Amino acid sequence: MISKLLTLALTFLLTAASLTGCWDRREINELAFQSCIAFDLEGGQRVLTSELVQPAAASREKGGGGTTLPQRQVIIASARSATLLGAGRETAPGLPRRAYLAHTTAVLVGEEMARHGLEEVLEFVDRHPELRRTTLVLLTRGPAREILIKAQGALETNLGKEIAGLHRWAPVSGFSFIPNLNDVFFDLSNGAAATVLPVVELSPEPFPPILGAGTTAGGGASPGTAATGQRTAQPETINTLYLRGAGLFYHTKLVGWLDERQTRGLAWARNKARGGILELPCAGADTRVAVDVTEARGQVKIDTKGGKLQGKINVQVEGELLEEQCQVDFTKEEALKSLQDQMAALVTAEISSALEQTKGAGADVFGFGGALYRRQPKLWRQLHQRWQEEFKKMPITIEVQAKVRRTGTTRRPWQPRVH
Amino acid sequence: MGSVWRTLKRLWQQIGKMPSSNGKDQGQGAIAVSPSLAGNLGYLKKALGASEDLISRELSLGGRRLAVIYLETMVNRDALQRDILHPLVRLQEKPNGGEANLILRLCKSLAVGDIKAEKEFTRLISGLLDGAAVLMVDGYDLALLLSAEGWEKRPVEEPGTEAALRGPREGFTENLSTNISLIRRRLRTRELRFEAIHLGRRTHTRVVIAYLEGLTLPGILAELRRRLQRIDIDGVLESGYIEELIEEAPFSPFPQVDRTERPDRVTADLLQGRVAILTDGTPFALIIPGNLIAQMQAPDDYYERWPLSIGIRLFRFLGIFIALLLPAIYVAFTTYHQEMLPTPLAIAIASQREAVPYPAVVEALIMQIVFEILIEAGIRLPRVIGPAISIVGALVIGEAAVRASLMSAAMVIVISATAISSFIIPSVGLNEAIRMLRLPLILLAGALGLLGIFAGLFTTLIHLASLRNFGVLYMSPLAPFTWRGQKDVVVRVPWWAMLWRPRTIGRRDLQREKPGQHPQVRAVNRQPGEELETGMSRGGAKMIRGRKKGRPAVGRGQKRP
Repeated sequence: MISKLLTLALTFLLTAASLTGCWDRREINELAFQSCIAFDLEGGQRVLTSELVQPAAASREKGGGGTTLPQRQVIIASARSATLLGAGRETAPGLPRRAYLAHTTAVLVGEEMARHGLEEVLEFVDRHPELRRTTLVLLTRGPAREILIKAQGALETNLGKEIAGLHRWAPVSGFSFIPNLNDVFFDLSNGAAATVLPVVELSPEPFPPILGAGTTAGGGASPGTAATGQRTAQPETINTLYLRGAGLFYHTKLVGWLDERQTRGLAWARNKARGGILELPCAGADTRVAVDVTEARGQVKIDTKGGKLQGKINVQVEGELLEEQCQVDFTKEEALKSLQDQMAALVTAEISSALEQTKGAGADVFGFGGALYRRQPKLWRQLHQRWQEEFKKMPITIEVQAKVRRTGTTRRPWQPRVH
Repeated sequence: MGSVWRTLKRLWQQIGKMPSSNGKDQGQGAIAVSPSLAGNLGYLKKALGASEDLISRELSLGGRRLAVIYLETMVNRDALQRDILHPLVRLQEKPNGGEANLILRLCKSLAVGDIKAEKEFTRLISGLLDGAAVLMVDGYDLALLLSAEGWEKRPVEEPGTEAALRGPREGFTENLSTNISLIRRRLRTRELRFEAIHLGRRTHTRVVIAYLEGLTLPGILAELRRRLQRIDIDGVLESGYIEELIEEAPFSPFPQVDRTERPDRVTADLLQGRVAILTDGTPFALIIPGNLIAQMQAPDDYYERWPLSIGIRLFRFLGIFIALLLPAIYVAFTTYHQEMLPTPLAIAIASQREAVPYPAVVEALIMQIVFEILIEAGIRLPRVIGPAISIVGALVIGEAAVRASLMSAAMVIVISATAISSFIIPSVGLNEAIRMLRLPLILLAGALGLLGIFAGLFTTLIHLASLRNFGVLYMSPLAPFTWRGQKDVVVRVPWWAMLWRPRTIGRRDLQREKPGQHPQVRAVNRQPGEELETGMSRGGAKMIRGRKKGRPAVGRGQKRP
C-alpha cells in the first residue's frame, strides 16, 4: 500500500517536473516590461499607448562620455479598439514578447478621456490583475499618447522611472504632487467626489538641458573631441516632462484647471506640500528674499455654528531664509516679523486663488465635504445631494502662521568693507 | 519502482532478523590451553597462520620451557623488551625458587600493569590481536596475557572539519585511548563512564559508549546498548557504519545522529545528558540523541560573549534558509512571479538573461550541478594541483560562462551566495543534507513556482517534525515548541541565566547551576570590607578614609624601635 502510494507520488512529481513547458511559466527575458501607459479617447475609439522597456539596451554600456543625452531605451506600442483591453491585445501581433503590466509605474490620461470620464480607466487599472493600485495617475493637456511618444528622457531611461522620480521629488517645490490610483479612488468615493490630477506636459528645453551643467545657448561648442560629431547631430531642443498645474475633477469628469501657484495653494491646504520656495519683496526696489519652506502643515476644517457653514483652512509654514538680495538683518525682531507676515500673505494668496478656481469649477478638492462628514454626519447626509452649491456659496477663512526658524549659516548679509 | 522499494524493505528486515554471532569467535568454540607448550604454540601458529609479524621467543626457566608470543606490529617493542623480556632473561640467570609458584613468581617479576591469566585460546588470540604478549609455560594449562600494545598514532591536532575561533584546538584522533583521555581530562568526575563493546566480526573494532552516570536517562542507554548489540557486521571502519545501523529513519536525508571531532563538544553534550559513541580508528564521535538545533550550533557560540553569539546565530539561521531556498526562489521569481521583483531589478535580470539560451531552471540546475562537482572535486584534489584547478573553476564558471552568455551574472551571484551560505552550517552532515535538498527544490520551483517551493518546504518540515530518535523529537524545542527550550536556540542566554538542562534529555538532574550568579558589580551590593580597591565607589571612598586614619599608627609603630 505504502509502496503504491509512494510510486504514485513519485510519478506525479516527475511528470510535474517535466511539464515545465506548460502552465504559466514565462521567462523573465520573454517579457516586455511596460513602464508607462497612456489612455486616450479618439472619436469613440480607445487608444492605448504603452511604453515598453528594452532590457538589452538598459544594460548596454554607453559609448563615449560627457553630456550626451540619455536616450529613452524603450519601444512604444500603440493601438486602438473599442475597449481598453482590446486595444492592449491589438498590440500583440507587433510584439515579439509578452507585454507585462505588473511594473507599470504611471498611467497618463488624455484630456478627451478625462472630459469623457475617468471611470473606465480607473475600472480597467483596478480590475487588471497585473496592474496595481499604487500606479501613479497623471493628466495631460491634449492626447496623452503625444506626451508618451514625444518625451525625450531627461535623466532616466524611461518615462515610468522619470515619473516615479517626479513623484518623489516634485513635492519639495510644492508645485505638484502625484496621487496614485488608490488616492483617486479614495477622493472620488467620499462625499465631495472631487479630485485633482497633476498635469504633465512637454517642456521644450534647449540642449544640453538646463538640468545639466551646459550653457543655455543650444549648439554651443564645448571642446569635446569625439563627442562633437555626435553633439551636432542632436536636436537643438529636447522635450522633457514637466509637471505644470493640475486638472480638477468632479465626479470623474474634468471640469477645470489649476495653474502652478494654485496647485501649490491646494497643496498647502491639503497637507501635500513638502516644501517650496517663497519669494518675497525686500526693502530695496527690485530686491527679493527667498525662504525655503522646510515644514508645512495644512488642515481643512468646517464650522457649523449657528446653522451656517463656515470653512476654515489652517496652514502652518516654517522655513529657513536662504537667500536675500537686500541688506536687511533678519535676525532683528521687526524685520523677521514683517517677513513672516509677507510669507503668510503669499501663502494665503495662493490658497485663496486656488479656492476661487475650485469654487468656480464646483469641485470640492479641498475636502470640506469630508470634514463635514467627519464632524456632523447627520448634517452631511442632509446636504450631500446639493453639496456643490453649498460649497460654492460657503464662506471660507484662511489662517496662515508663518515662521522663519533659521537664516542659513549666516545672520547679517555679507557686505564689502567700505573705506 | 514498487519492486525496488519492496526489495529494499525486505533486505532491511532480513538484516534485523539475522542471528547474531557477536562476541563469539568464528565458530572455533572454546578450546582450552593444554599443558603442552609445543602443542599450544602449534595451535596458535595454526590459528594465526604464517604471519610475518608473529614472533615467539622461547626461554627456559628452572628447567621449564616457556615462550613469549606477540605480534611485533602491535606491541611497543621498547616496553616489551624492558618490561617483559629483560626481567625474564634475568630470572633465567637467577637460581630457581620453588617450582610450584613459577607462575606467581613470573607475575611478580614482570613490570607489567595489566596481567591476565587466561585458559581459552579465543581470549588469547583476541588479546594477541589487541597488542598483548602471551606468556605460556610448559606444564601449565593457562597462559598470561601481558599488555604491551603500542603502535604508530597521529598526534592530537586541530580538527579538520570543525574549526573554532575561540575554544580548544584539540581534536580527536584515530586512537581510541587518546580520545578517551581527551574526554576524561575534561570531565574529572567519577560519574563518567566508558562502556566498551567490540563490533565487527572480522575487524573487532572497539566501540566505547561514554555517558555520565546519574545524568543520562537509563532508557536511552538501554536502547543504545540494545541497538549496538544487534549489530552483526563483518567490519566497522568508521562511525558512519554504526550511525546507519542505529538510526531510526534510515531513508531520511537528515543526520539523526550528531557527529563531532571536538572533545569539548562531546563534553558539553555529555553534560546535557547525551551519550557519545567513540569508535576506534576514526576521529569522529557520534552523539545521541541527535537534534536539528544542536547541529546548528557551533562550540564558539558558548565561548564567545553572549550578545555576539546571538548575532552569529541569527546569521546562521538566515544562512540555512539562503542555502536551501535562494536558487529556488530566484527561479520562481524570474519565471513566475516577476511582479515580486522591484522594477529596476526585474529589468536588470531580464537584460542579463537576454542572451542566455535556456530557461532559468535549467540554468540553475546546471550551475548547481557544476558547483557540487566542484566541491566534491575540491575534496579529492591532490593538494599540489588544487590551486590550478580552482583558478580554472573560478574563471570558467564565474567569468567565461557569463561572457559566453551561457550563464547570467545574476545566476552566478545567486549560486555563489548559496554556496557560501551553506558553509555557515557547523555540522557537515546537515550541510550535505541541505545541499542535496536544494536540487529538488529548484525543480519544484521551476515546475510550480512559489507554490512548489512551499510544497517542498512543508514536506521537509513535516518530515523533520516527525523524526525522533531515542525517544527525543528531532526538532525539539522548536517542533513541540517550549518557551524554556528557547534559551538555547536562536538566542543563547548568558551563562548565569542558563540554569536548566534541556528538559527532554536532562530531566534526571535538571538544574545546571546555582541561580543568582548574575555578576553584581555595583558597590552598593557589596558587604563592607568587600570593596574593590579602586576607590571609585561610595564604599571605596570610605575604605580609603578609614585606612588613612589607621596608617600613621602603623607607620609610627614601625619607625619607633
